Amino acid sequence: MASAFDRQQLTLAQKFGQVRWTLLLLLTGIAGIGAAMLYSAANASFEPWAIRHIARFVISVGIMLAVAMTDIRFWLRHAYGIYLATLALLAAVEVMGSVGMGAQRWIDLGIINLQPSELMKIALVLALARYFHGVNVEHIGRVTVLVIPLALIAAPAALVLRQPDLGTALMLLLGGGLMLFAAGVRLWKFALLAAGAMIAAPIAWQSLHDYQRTRILTFLAPETDPLGAGYHIIQSKIALGSGGVFGKGYLQGTQSHLNFLPEKQTDFIFTMLAEEFGLVGGVVLIGIYVLILAYGFAIAFSSRHHFGRLLAIGVNITLFLYLFINVAMVMGLIPVVGVPLPLVSYGGTAMLSLMFGFGLTMSVWVHRDVPVPRRGVGDGL
Amino acid sequence: MSRRAPRARGRQPAQLVLPLPVNGGLSPQSPAEHGRLRAVDVAHTRLVVVGLCFLLAFCGVVGRLVDLAAGSDPNLGLALANSATWEAARGDIMDRNGVLLATSLPTRSLYADPRDVIDPEHTADRLVALFPELNRSQLLARLTHDGRFAWIKRHLTPREQHAVNRLGLPGIGFRDDQRRVYPQGVVAAHVLGFTDIDSRGLAGVERHFDASLGDGEALRLCLDVRIQQIVREELLAAVREYRAIGGAGLVLDVVTGEVVAMVSLPDFDPNHRGRSDDDTRFNRVTQGVYEMGSTMKLITAAMALDSGAITLTGGYDASQPIRRGGHTIRDYRPQNRWLSLPEILVHSSNIASAHMALDVGGAVQRMYLNQLGMLSPLALELSEVGAPLVPGQWRDINIMTIGFGHGIAVSPLHLAQAVAVIANGGTFMPATIVDRGDRLPEPKPVLSAETSRTMRALMRLNVIMGTGRRADADGLRLGGKTGTAEKIVGGRYMRNARMSSFIGVFPVDSPRYVVLAILDEPQGNRSTHFYATGGWVAAPVVRRIAERIAPVLGVRPVDPADVPRVTGPDGPDRRRHLLLASLRTAIADTEGWRGAPR
Repeated sequence: MASAFDRQQLTLAQKFGQVRWTLLLLLTGIAGIGAAMLYSAANASFEPWAIRHIARFVISVGIMLAVAMTDIRFWLRHAYGIYLATLALLAAVEVMGSVGMGAQRWIDLGIINLQPSELMKIALVLALARYFHGVNVEHIGRVTVLVIPLALIAAPAALVLRQPDLGTALMLLLGGGLMLFAAGVRLWKFALLAAGAMIAAPIAWQSLHDYQRTRILTFLAPETDPLGAGYHIIQSKIALGSGGVFGKGYLQGTQSHLNFLPEKQTDFIFTMLAEEFGLVGGVVLIGIYVLILAYGFAIAFSSRHHFGRLLAIGVNITLFLYLFINVAMVMGLIPVVGVPLPLVSYGGTAMLSLMFGFGLTMSVWVHRDVPVPRRGVGDGL
Repeated sequence: MSRRAPRARGRQPAQLVLPLPVNGGLSPQSPAEHGRLRAVDVAHTRLVVVGLCFLLAFCGVVGRLVDLAAGSDPNLGLALANSATWEAARGDIMDRNGVLLATSLPTRSLYADPRDVIDPEHTADRLVALFPELNRSQLLARLTHDGRFAWIKRHLTPREQHAVNRLGLPGIGFRDDQRRVYPQGVVAAHVLGFTDIDSRGLAGVERHFDASLGDGEALRLCLDVRIQQIVREELLAAVREYRAIGGAGLVLDVVTGEVVAMVSLPDFDPNHRGRSDDDTRFNRVTQGVYEMGSTMKLITAAMALDSGAITLTGGYDASQPIRRGGHTIRDYRPQNRWLSLPEILVHSSNIASAHMALDVGGAVQRMYLNQLGMLSPLALELSEVGAPLVPGQWRDINIMTIGFGHGIAVSPLHLAQAVAVIANGGTFMPATIVDRGDRLPEPKPVLSAETSRTMRALMRLNVIMGTGRRADADGLRLGGKTGTAEKIVGGRYMRNARMSSFIGVFPVDSPRYVVLAILDEPQGNRSTHFYATGGWVAAPVVRRIAERIAPVLGVRPVDPADVPRVTGPDGPDRRRHLLLASLRTAIADTEGWRGAPR
């Protein structure tokens, strides 16, 4: 018992000793692969992508460690605040977009363009973890308990959908749904939701932009429109296939270097990797991600408080959704939606969000035995 | 998770979250303790389920990756090649040898859905920055109008499309589009015509065959782009040399009626029709109707021979001008004597041709003109066809003027069509622009074979010693007739505004092609001794065209050394002797000279 109480008053040095450096190493490995691919995408040049990618990662690691060092109860206490601030930012870009600065999804911060929608993925995890931490497990079966978390999910999803950014909206909905599941919401309620979604689908279809509809239709049969919307998928599949088992070699990918492949530095970077390093390269990258996810699950298991467990699982879900949606997209398993490959694709906010998220996971680990009151506010710190 | 734990109301004490072994102790548990443990149980179960789901998803992804890497779908490339976009494209137009004259390239066009444009001002600024040629205020009007669709810019290059995508503007999108491209440029401009920006045919075969081309059917013309190029070059050189305001050139297959080349100058580039003047789009070969002048004397002579009004040895007194109802018919180079039929054509006598036409008679003249297709619009597959201008009343003066090519206006193709009948043995074959292959229409006999043979000899004679001397291409046995018609400007015939033409047939022993060259208002220069008549300016064009196209079309020349020089004694009989010798040569040429290839 004594050791547990000690953790309430961990010194900074003690906390530092608790950091899982293996996890950081795995994350650095992924980011390193990202830098190498961006170097290749720019035809063997650090400019314009690779160098900025590295700089951002270094900054993100600093932020991650700072987050990890911060007491878990601080994050519990400010979870709603962070969520509301991010929601406000999201609304702000929406308003700014319509008032005079043009339709922007981002706020310019110099080295990165901050996309509130990316931050929201983590903020939502925080808010939901906080909420379910506070819910008595006996009450979780009540329908009224679900009103607030559903609103927490729906508000940012609606804003993002209006931008319009189908991929992020989808991620928020799926991520939120998985969080609900992890929190223990009963399965039949998901069945109910699914039925509701089926009914809502035709209405949602009406509100989609033409290009979004085209993407879904093209997904169903990309070969019908190989020069239009199906172009990405077909070129991507050709590139994936042409890599074979061992790939064409670093900097040797023709599909990407001859510009057949669009957006190769962002959403389609996995295709480039698979073309240059083949099946082996793709499996190795996915393997590293799986290790990171395994780490996240282990941390979730080890947490003695519900908040930490939900936080770690939520960050894991976010990483998984990024990864799965992106990889499945370039392989033509799901429609083309704008989701980057985490830590590999060029893009600042997604990296920052994820590293922030892993900072939280790390913080859960460091503070895994810290007693966290159900209300979270007022005691402890 | 479904079984509810005993109720534990109220605020949970903080120490309840104290770390305990997950599987619980052996000691008896309080109800609250029991609930908490159950919650941890549920959470852990859910964690495992989520983790397994992830693992399953990864198995799927890796499986797909293996699938793609191991056996890439061979149909992907094929799909790219035969995509729906290509199938829906407007049909190609080819020449008779399959050379591509018009095709459609798939493009993407940028449009706006004004309802979804959030900030029109900003959108307009960004788009104008990308495409400086767009007018900002017009663009703004399109972005803000009430409808749900407005084109912004058509036919973007992939690079432009990429740039627009990078702007990330809402409310604008791309549609599949196609752009008509004419790889040969100006060469066959008037035949092909052009389309509007939506690929709807507006002129030429593009318009005439708009429906079938729009359905994706390809069109094979009988045009030969090689011949077309040669005719255009030679005609253009002459138009420049004689500072003519325009020109018309035509090569017509006399057997099948197929137009092998058709050139109207000035012309335009159908790829950039917007930059051309309206008058460049005027097709002088089919749309313009002109008084053809002396070339019409061939037709008068043919109908006179065919109807029996004259024989090869017959003739008329051309010593006196004809005065009839205020009009006076004179000869350009008066011989002031009786002229035989060969001499009438060699000297191009208006007076004798008028007499000959009167002898044929108005009704018969009309019948022949009608059968030769000169009184009705062309049945050509082009939208630009002119209707002949014929006299309302067919009086003697009309009969006579028509006899030498005035008082009736037809298109150059009408003339070529009629001369083709004279050359090909006497059957009328409507001219076409489409490859006929073996499906020739029913031939309509108009003239006897005998008339055709005699006329060919007379045409050849005119080139050997008449006004058409400068058209005599070595060894090609070309026959023909010059024409020089004064143009009517403001109701009066202008002396210095004329249509100078030459219509030739080769080879006369077994005619294959009619070649026509017309210069509109040519100016004589030093090399022509300031003459601008058909014999001086148009005949050399036909000679050069024939010399260049004969090898392409497979017409073999005879060795010039085999053709006897036409000589004769000096003295009063020289002229008569020369004529007879030339006529013998012409007839010999027509019969097939010393086993010359037929």
